[in-house]
Amino acid sequence: MSAVLKPKSKAIVCDGNEAAAWAVTLARVDMVAVYPITPQSSLVEYLAKFVADGKLNAEIVDVEGEHSVLSVLHGGVLAGARAYTGTCGPGLAFMFEPYLRTPGMRMPLVMSIVTRDTLTPQSVWGGHQDAMSVREVGWIQMYCETVQEVHDTTILAYKVAEHRDVMLPVNVCHDGNYLSYGAARIELPSQEEVDAFLPPPSTNWHAALDPSRPMAVDPLTGGAGGPGPALFVRYRKGHCAGMQNALAVIEQAHEDWARIVGRRHAPLVESYRMDDAEAALVTLGSMTGAAKDAVDAARERGQRVGLVKVKTYRPFPVQAIVKALSGVRAVGVVDRSVSFGWNCGPLFQDVIGALHFAERRPAAMSFIGGLAGADITTDHFGAAIERVQALAQDGVVGETVWLNERD
Amino acid sequence: MGAFNTIAFKPEYCDGCNACMTACATAKAGNSDILNSRIQIVADGETFELAMCRQCADPKCVANCPAAALAKNGADGVIEWDGTKCVNCLLCTVGCAYGGIVHNAAVGHVVKCDTCDGDPACVKACERGALKYHTTANIYNEVGDLEDLFVPGLAGCQGCNTELIMRHTMRRIGPDSVLAAPPGCIPGMGSVGYNGLTGTKVPVFHPLLTNTASMLTGIKRHYKRQGREVNAVALAGDGGTADVGFQSLSGAAERGEQILFICVDNEGYMNTGMQRSGCTPFGAWTSTTPVGERGKGKTQDAKNLPLLMMMHNCEYVATASTAFMEDLYEKLDRAIDASKRGFAYLHIYSPCTTGWRFPSAENIEVARKAVETNFVMLWEFNPRDGLRLSRSLDDARPIDEYLNALGKYRHLEPEQVGHIEATLHKNVELIRGFAEGRRHAMA
Repeated sequence: MSAVLKPKSKAIVCDGNEAAAWAVTLARVDMVAVYPITPQSSLVEYLAKFVADGKLNAEIVDVEGEHSVLSVLHGGVLAGARAYTGTCGPGLAFMFEPYLRTPGMRMPLVMSIVTRDTLTPQSVWGGHQDAMSVREVGWIQMYCETVQEVHDTTILAYKVAEHRDVMLPVNVCHDGNYLSYGAARIELPSQEEVDAFLPPPSTNWHAALDPSRPMAVDPLTGGAGGPGPALFVRYRKGHCAGMQNALAVIEQAHEDWARIVGRRHAPLVESYRMDDAEAALVTLGSMTGAAKDAVDAARERGQRVGLVKVKTYRPFPVQAIVKALSGVRAVGVVDRSVSFGWNCGPLFQDVIGALHFAERRPAAMSFIGGLAGADITTDHFGAAIERVQALAQDGVVGETVWLNERD
Repeated sequence: MGAFNTIAFKPEYCDGCNACMTACATAKAGNSDILNSRIQIVADGETFELAMCRQCADPKCVANCPAAALAKNGADGVIEWDGTKCVNCLLCTVGCAYGGIVHNAAVGHVVKCDTCDGDPACVKACERGALKYHTTANIYNEVGDLEDLFVPGLAGCQGCNTELIMRHTMRRIGPDSVLAAPPGCIPGMGSVGYNGLTGTKVPVFHPLLTNTASMLTGIKRHYKRQGREVNAVALAGDGGTADVGFQSLSGAAERGEQILFICVDNEGYMNTGMQRSGCTPFGAWTSTTPVGERGKGKTQDAKNLPLLMMMHNCEYVATASTAFMEDLYEKLDRAIDASKRGFAYLHIYSPCTTGWRFPSAENIEVARKAVETNFVMLWEFNPRDGLRLSRSLDDARPIDEYLNALGKYRHLEPEQVGHIEATLHKNVELIRGFAEGRRHAMA
């Protein structure tokens, strides 16, 4: 094992929050704004300690709430800083006003969402409802499966965010409890490798508040007359174009990461045992590990079942999804959150929307599990596989299945 | 051009006692015959008018003189008469619109005020304070050389005091600044801009109404990290400061961020249609505290925002008024300086002609009356010296003089005026307590 380690890279055992903090340190972030919230708290504690210990040379701003967390970073980014923070649940809700504004201002900052189910019922445990609630705001969202992926993706995210064809903020979503506190052995790349991968940020090509080149940032735009309508469309369309450009940039960034650091993650979607599969599960985040185990067990029983993990959720990788699922007869999408408007999971909505473009449309159904810290076990996934297999045979789409309903 | 002083006259304080004229005649002619006085106070019905040399910047007397006997002294601004050159044609008296240079029969030539070499006898003789020797011109001459950092033609209401504050403050703060203008009248008049155009010559942005101090925190911190000296400045309305913007303001003040935060207090959400804010005073009409059969204006007192900021133990906190520009500029200088060490907060009262309902020409007079009645108190604070009054709270004018000037108080009933008077008294005693050390001001 040690033979593959590059000089100065090292293996440590840590949880996802510490893995993210190491990533921020290696990415040479200039500014971190901090406000604690469960299950993100230890992440910002690590960062504060890294600054105190001299490991991380960054401005750390301890503010009075999440609204100011993101607002401080807005200021920092407009002055040219590489910026980072993390939050979740109620904190994300409280910062919604500046959150909404971040991508429109084309600010390339990175924010972890240590996912947590939203109020109410009152809950402090994991679930994707917080991140899902902001899925249409125009941020890039990537979901992580493992502690290693949390670490690598947090560095990768800067490469994506700061790419001149993208210039958008990135949420690295890692599951509260399961990844925030779950410890695993990970490999840290060396500083030299990360420096080779991620050059210092260039501030010359985005909106800046700099007395040496004065400009008005975000003046009133739009209205029915003059240049307003076309100008507003230009901004909105440009934002959409940046999101679409991100798909290729994310793939290239993962390729660069594999080349320099020697570790490869699926950039958009990962297909697992999908060769000759007639049924597939679609997963998001840390649940994928148990789902893969369940797929392995089903394969051992001779069932032709596979799995597609969605890594990049926004922009939604429509073509990659279509390609990954076009060969199967039935799809079961497992969400850790709810679409109240459709009585199903939000990822399910996206998947069936993408499958509209498939030549042969598989039957699909929605599973919802793991809300508010509930475990989605291999048994749950086994049952889901049985249900999807049946769907592949009879094509009869049932109601949304709530996996933890009888736990 | 040098900095020049003027003798200013407030007719409302004058009772026509002639003491100024007697003093001038004594000083200049050696007798008490007021005909020899260079200052003439003339009764005009109920009030008085001043006939006296204004030491004009563009003097018509000088322009009219064919003998070069009159000249403006570049050092002190005084227009000097040279008897050796004068040909007694009196054309100068025709040029002057102020009766400032007149023929004196006793000496047989024109005479005019020479300001007694900067120590005018008339001002010293006026016991009622109707005459003041002002140094205001100092400031205007000085800032006149500084670049106005806003474009001409901002779309403020006619007579807008806020526009005046914006132009004056940014002139002094200078171009090495990043300016935050949260939603309100300040960006509303076009300072941040519209559809790609801007009204400001320094980097300017709309923060959210809620996060001005936080965005400035990020900007300032990163420039400091880079070793660059950049002023992080807010020009914010009272709503964005006292209400929805208060959390981020309080956080930044507590952290001692090196920000200059200027609150332009027009006592409400004037840009959105004159709604009530936490700074709207008791009894005031606003569009959300309307006056009707049951409504009689706002039923709560204003929150004392500058005092709240003082309690954060900021590096500097001060109140100011455009009716007292020397004071405002001194405080601005101290605030700029303090913002290089910590949080500096300047609260400038800004009467709103549109929202307060008074004629636009009276803005500065309204601002002055607010201060002279103690409705607005001018003070400053730093952690070493505590709170100090910038202007005595003694001998305040009756509050009616202020209330009666404003349409927003037109409906007030006697008990409401009584409440305002009582609150005013309490506030004066509170501030006086801090100033005299009876209350501890975080020093």
